[in-house]
Amino acid sequence: MDEQLITKHQHHKINELFTEFSEATNLTRPDKANKLMAQIDMMIDTEQGIEYVYDMIDDLTKEGLFLDSPWSDPSKLVATLVNGTLKSGHPNSTIEILSELRLLAIAKGKINNATVNRDEAENYIQEVIVSNLEFVFNEPLEETRLTMSDHELLKVHSFFKFVSDRIHLDGVKMKLAEELTLICEQRPVVTEKQRKIIELIKEKIDLDPEKSEDAKLYKFQRSIYSPTNNSKGKSIDEYNEFLNDLSDEELKDEAKEMGRSMNEFGLVSRHHAVLLLHILANNHFHLVPPCLGLNPVGKAKWNEYSSSLSSIIMQTVHPYNTQCIYGLAKMLEKGIISREAVRSGLFNLATIKIHPKVEDRIIKSTRSPHKDVTARQYLIGALFRILGQPLGVGQGNNPTCQSARGISMWSEHAPAKLINMIQTAAVHNDLMFRFEGHEIKASLTGKGLVQKLDHNLDAVSVTLVPMLDKIYNEMMLRASGRGEDPHKWVNPALYGQWIQIGFASAYDYLTNAIVDFDGFVRVFYSMAHPEYNGGHRLIYPNPVGIFITSNKGEMLGFHAVSLLRVEKAPNGIMRAYFLNPNNEGRQDWGQEIKPSVFGNGELHGESSLPIHEFAARTYAFHFNSLEVHSKMELIPSAEVRKVKQLAQESWGQAYNWLDTKKQW
Amino acid sequence: MAKCFALLGWSLPVIESMQKLNKPYVVVSFPDFEPYAKENDIPFVPYQLNEWSDSSNSLDLLEKLNQHNVDVAVPLFEETVEWAGALNSIYRGDPRVLNRAFLFRNKAMMKRKALIGGLRVGLFEEVYNKEGVKAFMKRLNEANLQVEGEEDSWVHIKPFASAGTVGHRLLRTMNDVDEKCEDEDFPCLAESHLPGREFSCEAFVHGGKIRFLNITEYVKLGYSNFIPEGNYLHSKRDMIMKEMQKMVDLFGIEYGMVHPEWFLTENDEMSFGEVACRIPGGHILELCGKAYDFDALGAFVLCHDPDLSEEELKEILPPIDARPKNFYGNVMIYPHKNQISKLEIPEELKEEPYFLDHNLVPPMTTQKISDRDGFGNHFGTVNFKGEDPDRMTELLLHYENVDFYH
Repeated sequence: MDEQLITKHQHHKINELFTEFSEATNLTRPDKANKLMAQIDMMIDTEQGIEYVYDMIDDLTKEGLFLDSPWSDPSKLVATLVNGTLKSGHPNSTIEILSELRLLAIAKGKINNATVNRDEAENYIQEVIVSNLEFVFNEPLEETRLTMSDHELLKVHSFFKFVSDRIHLDGVKMKLAEELTLICEQRPVVTEKQRKIIELIKEKIDLDPEKSEDAKLYKFQRSIYSPTNNSKGKSIDEYNEFLNDLSDEELKDEAKEMGRSMNEFGLVSRHHAVLLLHILANNHFHLVPPCLGLNPVGKAKWNEYSSSLSSIIMQTVHPYNTQCIYGLAKMLEKGIISREAVRSGLFNLATIKIHPKVEDRIIKSTRSPHKDVTARQYLIGALFRILGQPLGVGQGNNPTCQSARGISMWSEHAPAKLINMIQTAAVHNDLMFRFEGHEIKASLTGKGLVQKLDHNLDAVSVTLVPMLDKIYNEMMLRASGRGEDPHKWVNPALYGQWIQIGFASAYDYLTNAIVDFDGFVRVFYSMAHPEYNGGHRLIYPNPVGIFITSNKGEMLGFHAVSLLRVEKAPNGIMRAYFLNPNNEGRQDWGQEIKPSVFGNGELHGESSLPIHEFAARTYAFHFNSLEVHSKMELIPSAEVRKVKQLAQESWGQAYNWLDTKKQW
Repeated sequence: MAKCFALLGWSLPVIESMQKLNKPYVVVSFPDFEPYAKENDIPFVPYQLNEWSDSSNSLDLLEKLNQHNVDVAVPLFEETVEWAGALNSIYRGDPRVLNRAFLFRNKAMMKRKALIGGLRVGLFEEVYNKEGVKAFMKRLNEANLQVEGEEDSWVHIKPFASAGTVGHRLLRTMNDVDEKCEDEDFPCLAESHLPGREFSCEAFVHGGKIRFLNITEYVKLGYSNFIPEGNYLHSKRDMIMKEMQKMVDLFGIEYGMVHPEWFLTENDEMSFGEVACRIPGGHILELCGKAYDFDALGAFVLCHDPDLSEEELKEILPPIDARPKNFYGNVMIYPHKNQISKLEIPEELKEEPYFLDHNLVPPMTTQKISDRDGFGNHFGTVNFKGEDPDRMTELLLHYENVDFYH
């Protein structure tokens, strides 16, 4: 049967099913809706099909296809959830696409809606496009490819093709620039996401240099594809050739320009590796600091350890393992290379033989493994990045915030211990910890939280996390049933003895309620807030348990972050700065609580919130039990009330509250 | 005209038909359905239909239904046939209506009745254990003059009172008896395998006369069927009609709809399989309604009303000699694997001009398929519509073997 006939036939069928649906009473409506949806599902894997359904969307909405579903009120939809729903398959993906078509129709003024106006609808669609770039450009992530059938991929792709032809992409360009800024400002260790976006923009969107909103996107592109004027349009081989002809002075300028470019977004181009290796091969050691964009501390460290470092760099850096150059620069600036233990650790690591299973994981975590780069090179490169950017550690798509938090803490405060752990794990694919006088061996424990590791992680994390996760889980099992939050014992055992002994939890296991929240808030302020803790700063990161809430403030679950510091932001507001290992720059926890990742005095990788908002989501933290009691009563009651109200009106609704006083 | 119909069981499409026809009704079903009924303004009497005791019996139910002025009871489920029989025997003042209901609920009794009345049936017997089945198979083998080395005669066993294919087992050898039969199967009916093509009839009966006869062509039992009957069966329609009326007379059926299964051999011999008087499975009435363009479910209910006028009958039923242009068929889809994680509609189906619609549901993340009872639970139905019954047969046979679930 020819295409036209099929289409005609399909249209006839969907109209018939639609009539049956609209004529049905409430009793058989779900059944008819099911059949109608099945037909829509079959039709919308082409643009023509989408278009036909788009023309019907007003009727479908009026007949109540969305009624009594999570999609019924378009003002309550969350753009960031769309991706997950599209991946979950029919019927969810089908109704999700219908829902987007309805919003598109609202944006285009085709239909009116009481709760959403045209601008809001257009804005929503743009957000959906930005958070679904993999579909917009039809380059699904590996995991997407695995979970979605060809038909589902066609559906979703046809939909985005249809939508992007009808929505101004200029607005999307600005959102893409914003998205890239949000990601890059955090300086994540894993840079695949921003690279992918930049790559896709390069391939699929025409940038107009005359337009100011395009200029920003150009800058991002340059940082990867042509970081210097001289590298423009040259392949890495051509660039290598070109470097041979440069005078010392010209080479110095090239190095400076390269270093500056890298520091702008924390992204490293392949040309950078070529330049650095060229400089070292020709013994121009004095050009390394400008090439790495080093500050004076970094420069001093390089000068001190240049000979041992240069051999590690030569062994590790490669145009296809280039991002580690940024980590290396930041590692030098942090000065940890001065520690003998760190240097020994790095030296040892350069000689190990990696366990085949670990090697598999490392290669799997590399987007495009290169034949000339070994798993060990990737591992040491990732280590540079972890050591240079402790706050850039992420958990990927894994429920392993605890492990990510640990890696970040060790990187900052016990780098040699971390290196040693990596070495053990990489060689043996196993790890051992002490817990309350007993040993825990990862290979002898049961399952961890993660059943199927998402390999969208750095090589250090894929080496360690599967074991850390199991050990953490085993510790939690051993410490459970004690009538208190097991983290009280697990945190110090897992992270190290610098974790304070006192442990405050808002939740009381025995009464299954939130008990003495006022006291809890007072302890928190006396621990963290410089105006009430004697003007002190936090010394070590404090592992804090927080409630994750939806953008409506509803309780979603628990999450682990580290409180790093509490200080006044440039605008004078006291803020809590913390590490959130989920690397999400766009969060909305409801009640106007939106953690920011830059612009409020954050260092790269930090998230921050006004202190009372952070306190209002905290349910557990550690403190020095010898110190806080004298300070607790000094906290103004108004401040405590403010925190308590935020808590009670959000996650607090999921719990009973008792005002009984508690001994903290 | 009935004052009020009591619908025994639960079927939303039937309730919808009653609402659309604007006929008085009350639904009698398990208390679990009460909240839904209330929410949707469905007149409802909660009743423990699976319990028979001092506080749960037909006289008690009768009293409850009197408040609704019920004068006709309609069974929707196999399990409510006796309840409807008991109530209708009171409404019609005829105790035999109840006995007839028992007839429908006991496959051995039903066959005996058929045999007495001169319908052709297979050899059958009530069996109480595996030995009984083996002895039956042995006698069957003897009767079929089995020579050493020849295959055993096929035997079917069926529970006395289950709907459709539930608990139905086909035993091809003595070994099968040991392997396939469970102790819980007994007592049950054992019968010889009937040769011929299988089909069912849906006869809408009023005043003891067949007012409309639908013939459903079974393409594969438990998987697929279509309506109206194909050209070959259609050429036998007069004979089928005669046999059907004979059965209706013999069973003394006056009002309602009967759904017997028949086997037709090449020599034009019709054997009676079994008969039910509730809504048939396999979405038969849905297909029938579409093919003949009438409210088959509404007609099913109304035919139970002795006071229905000739005009009303004419209005609700298609003409007795109607022959629709389009054939409507469906195939029930079962997963072919033990573990499935996704639903994939094949491209060829989308391009198939006969394809009408489907209601297949995707599986839960990764779903294990439990062992089959009868033919197991199907995951949904694919419907077809077209003008050529042979093409329809071909399609139904084809899609029965297509994997929709992976």
